[in-house]
Amino acid sequence: MKIIRQIGIIFLVCWLSEVIERLLPFTFPASVIGMALLLACLLTGVLKIRHIQEKADFLLENMAFFFIPAGVSIINYFDVLKSSAVQLIIICVVSTVVTFAVTAWSVRLTVRCMVLAGSGGTGSGSKAEDARKQGESATGGKEKEGKGIE
Amino acid sequence: MSEIFASPYFGVALSVITFWIGVKLQRRLKTPVCNPLIVAIVLTSGVLLIFRIPYESYNEGGEIINMFLAPATACLAVAIYTKIEMLKQYWLPIAVGCTAGSAASMLSVYGLCRLFGLDGSLTVSLLPKSVTTPIAVSIAEPAGGMVPITVVAVIGTGILGSIIAPVLIRIFRVTDPVAAGLAIGASSHAVGTSKAIELGEVEGAMSGLAIGICGIITVLISMAVL
Repeated sequence: MKIIRQIGIIFLVCWLSEVIERLLPFTFPASVIGMALLLACLLTGVLKIRHIQEKADFLLENMAFFFIPAGVSIINYFDVLKSSAVQLIIICVVSTVVTFAVTAWSVRLTVRCMVLAGSGGTGSGSKAEDARKQGESATGGKEKEGKGIE
Repeated sequence: MSEIFASPYFGVALSVITFWIGVKLQRRLKTPVCNPLIVAIVLTSGVLLIFRIPYESYNEGGEIINMFLAPATACLAVAIYTKIEMLKQYWLPIAVGCTAGSAASMLSVYGLCRLFGLDGSLTVSLLPKSVTTPIAVSIAEPAGGMVPITVVAVIGTGILGSIIAPVLIRIFRVTDPVAAGLAIGASSHAVGTSKAIELGEVEGAMSGLAIGICGIITVLISMAVL
């Protein structure tokens, strides 16, 4: 019954988000509305994490499985894939590297700005320092060679 | 003969079996190239092509599996909620990093598509390729993209990201685990996150947060431009 109740809760959230999607004057994906709705329910205490824990773990852990049918439908698009395979691969590689670099650099810049601002005494800088320490202890010895650089 | 395959049980069973083989293979070989999803897609497609089973028959079961995509996406909220303390603590770097990363991803894809002269439908299919599959699909589909192309690009990006993440961390000298985690999550969503978890606790948590947050930001950006 526990699992059935959890399925019920999550499916209800999904259905409500589809209703909201229809009511919205602009197009916004129902799945993202569902995510926001579920987060709002958890934050406001309407739902407790134990109400959905097992079902959520099941869905999150097996996320990849649910994409198989969508992936298999590629057999209907072989000609598109064949004609522009090289371009697709280049686009994937380049944009992955660009996204990684831009994200990493902008985070680094933000943390540095916070440290600078925090040296005045707001405390946000020390939080950033804490992050670094936490991270270093979490990564343990693996990142040893990286430690000395910054 | 073909009607025996038109049962929803066939599609679901075939998907589970091929996915199970994929999981086994990955455990045995321990390489990210053997992603269970890719193995399942290749094997399932192979079975359909070899035995000349129409895609529509397989999709009787496929539609049932598809039904779980939205609930799975909604559950990303649980992943965010369990890391809410970290989100509160680093909200500014997370917000800046995810916004910059999502914008960089879409801009670079758009620029390259124009450079190669790819058509509009293909461009739209590729634009959301750095976010998690259900969100990417829900962006590409209404805008006239080809869903399977989006799925393959998203998964390909994820696998690529999880392979090259350690190399990129070294090349770009990312020593801050918060930056490394967010960069992995922003560039290669859930598949990359599994790699980030291996790298460390902070990396894994940040990468997991980036999946949901980059998803939302990418939706907002695409609403503004599409």
